Amino acid sequence: MAPAEEVCGEFPVGMKVLVVDDDPTCLAVLKRMLLECRYDATTCSQATKALTMLRENRRGFDVIISDVHMPDMDGFRLLELVGLEMDLPVIMMSADSRTDIVMKGIKHGACDYLIKPVRMEELKNIWQHVVRKKFNENKEHEYSGSLDDTDRTRPTNNDNEYASSGNDGADGSWKSQKKKRDKDEDDSELESGDPSSTSKKPRVVWSVELHQQFVNAVNHLGIDKAVPKKILELMNVPGLTRENVASHLQKFRLYLKRIAQHHAGIVNPFCPPGSSAKVGSLGGLDLQALAASGQIPPQALAALQDELLGRPTNNLVLPGRDQSALRLAAVKGNKPHGEREIAFGQPIYKCQGNAYAAFPQSSPTAGGMPSFSAWPNNKLGMADSTGTLGSMSNSQNSNIVLHELQQKPDAMLSGTLHSLDVKPSGIVMPSQSLNTFSASEGLSPNQNPLMLPSQSSSFLAAMPPSMKHEPVLANSQPSTSLLGGIDLVNQASTSQPLINTHGGNIPALVNRSSNVIPSQGIDTFQTANNPYLVSQNSMGVGSTQQPGVLKTENSDSLSHSYGYIGGSAPMDSGLLISQSKNTQFGLLQSQAGLTGSWPPLQNVDNYGNNIGLSHLGSSSSSFQSSNVALGKLPDQGRGKNHGFVGKDVKASWIVSRVITGNNFSRSMNNGWLIFHFIFFFLL
Amino acid sequence: MKKSLFDQGYLDEQFCQVEDLQDEASPNFVEEVVTLFFKDSGRLMSNIEQALEKYPRDFNRWDAYMQQLKGSCCSIGASRMKNECMSFRDSCGQGNVEGCMRSFQKVKREHAVLRQKLESYFQLLRQAGPAGAATRPIM
Repeated sequence: MAPAEEVCGEFPVGMKVLVVDDDPTCLAVLKRMLLECRYDATTCSQATKALTMLRENRRGFDVIISDVHMPDMDGFRLLELVGLEMDLPVIMMSADSRTDIVMKGIKHGACDYLIKPVRMEELKNIWQHVVRKKFNENKEHEYSGSLDDTDRTRPTNNDNEYASSGNDGADGSWKSQKKKRDKDEDDSELESGDPSSTSKKPRVVWSVELHQQFVNAVNHLGIDKAVPKKILELMNVPGLTRENVASHLQKFRLYLKRIAQHHAGIVNPFCPPGSSAKVGSLGGLDLQALAASGQIPPQALAALQDELLGRPTNNLVLPGRDQSALRLAAVKGNKPHGEREIAFGQPIYKCQGNAYAAFPQSSPTAGGMPSFSAWPNNKLGMADSTGTLGSMSNSQNSNIVLHELQQKPDAMLSGTLHSLDVKPSGIVMPSQSLNTFSASEGLSPNQNPLMLPSQSSSFLAAMPPSMKHEPVLANSQPSTSLLGGIDLVNQASTSQPLINTHGGNIPALVNRSSNVIPSQGIDTFQTANNPYLVSQNSMGVGSTQQPGVLKTENSDSLSHSYGYIGGSAPMDSGLLISQSKNTQFGLLQSQAGLTGSWPPLQNVDNYGNNIGLSHLGSSSSSFQSSNVALGKLPDQGRGKNHGFVGKDVKASWIVSRVITGNNFSRSMNNGWLIFHFIFFFLL
Repeated sequence: MKKSLFDQGYLDEQFCQVEDLQDEASPNFVEEVVTLFFKDSGRLMSNIEQALEKYPRDFNRWDAYMQQLKGSCCSIGASRMKNECMSFRDSCGQGNVEGCMRSFQKVKREHAVLRQKLESYFQLLRQAGPAGAATRPIM
């Protein structure tokens, strides 16, 4: 069969279509029609089964057609999931032609909406959706310039590239996911090879850094007023096009929405205070965990967390601290959200410093994504809730995280993200919790799943010890952090479109105004926000961030942290976590107090992110857990810590900041940051 | 006969589409789909019937079931039956229990009538020979 990639106007013979509908009559008719169109049709009467099929074989299908009303799963939910995880075009269909339902489909990201009875002519046209998507991806890549050049297998390159340009293609931001997906089934796309995947198109990789910038810009403008053009201007990233921003914004919005919706479940009290620092790191990690909760094996999370938390100020490997962090992560596992809810919540924050360590880089202490949810959604412990956390610890954490991330290019990120199955909604960002997160939460570093490039042991090392505690999470931006996190996730997942943007995972996390990201209620998600937070301030979000800045920028922090984390390397979705490098977490931990203060990120929402970014302060424990979760995440295979690695510079910066944050608040920040990062990666 | 089915509104253009899908590769496609439809719709209708008894005034539930049935009808072009489904849903929307009951009876009736007519139709087709969808305008 001709591969679906037959773009260019050829009638795509052999395009692989998956039809999901509980009505056997309709399925039979549709299948026949599709065969008449010379497509390769597969039918499935259960959404859950369809999802399994898709997950097992991501490249097996080019387009999905799904009914809206199904008994086992809502069609919109399936739409979101597919979009997040696989980034495939999904066409909704129903006998229900009510405008509001159709609108809902569009909002959830459906490529098209067919009214039953579906006619042959309509089916004949569905190939355009596949082609269009591919073209857009390509176009974006081109714009981002030179993204493509890297070869697919250029894992490390990405990191560097990311560090510098933020969007370099190394891999594929979620756009390229599709292509990449095809190529590399595993998510490592982020870093290696993304660009080369299938089409060598330069893709915009939404690295943590970049995402953070994006989040900042969005926060600055206000989520309602944020238009791609303005965002682009604010971001001022060379090579980034309006289209890139537009699609990313769309995903972000969806993500935010989702987070808000999912947030509800996640609010887990983040463990707390104590290792705020850790929390920070955890936060980042947690995010991942959270994100990954769905998919990332706790181990990965733990690893991530460890990484984040464990990294004691400088080296990612924070053994002492990490332990707690890791532990948190591990513990978090308890909150197993089922899929999305990142269980991180609780355990993660344990990080009091060691929790992270607990997260084994390799061994998912927490059981993988410990429910990041441990992050107390709002509580992020950000002890100071405002800035205290974030600023110091966050920065540290973020730095750490970043470092870690950087270190672990792709592996962590990609893995984590990938596994994160971050359902858009689930994005770690427990947005709700974010509220409590009070900015200071700073990205509970834990939360940043992204941040935890598990492997990045070196990452941490990079960070100056002092930095460590900076709560990278920059509590201030709870909302942003979410975004950041989300982005991170996205980035990480290059292979997966997901998570973050996709489907709007990022529920309005971007709290612009308050820390808590989602005003939407994401309170639990707090941690999620943090990721950004963390990065923002100090996280080296890219170049602009100055260490220490983390804290305050609540709104920015999100974006920053995000950017930071991702900066270096698109964290492979969940890579951070997957990397399971404890180090990451360790960072967070560094500030023993950090984590504590940081409200447990727990709220890792679907995304495994601890939504509740468990306050840093108190979250130290939670932080850890989040870290753990994060650490765990990465296992997923994506293993690419893609995102962070690249940005060593930034990451280190952030991490250091995170680490330095001794204060309670700091820890929170760190945790938060981490959370965010993680979150991002999860995304 | 087919013409009369169309004229009387039992079937609509969608049925033609389904018929068009039949070819040498799947010579009995239409009959297969129709059989499938009746089997599935029978099940759905008994669900509705049960729901009408077990869950009084549970319009949402009734509506959801009927939505499914309506979707099925659409897919094969069972036009009159689909209309009755829609009126049932309208009654649900209005919270009109009586209206729902009446509509449901109509749906059942249309279902039975359609089944009968299509069975005759297919019989005619078979008699007409293996040529396939050739419809003999037998009245």
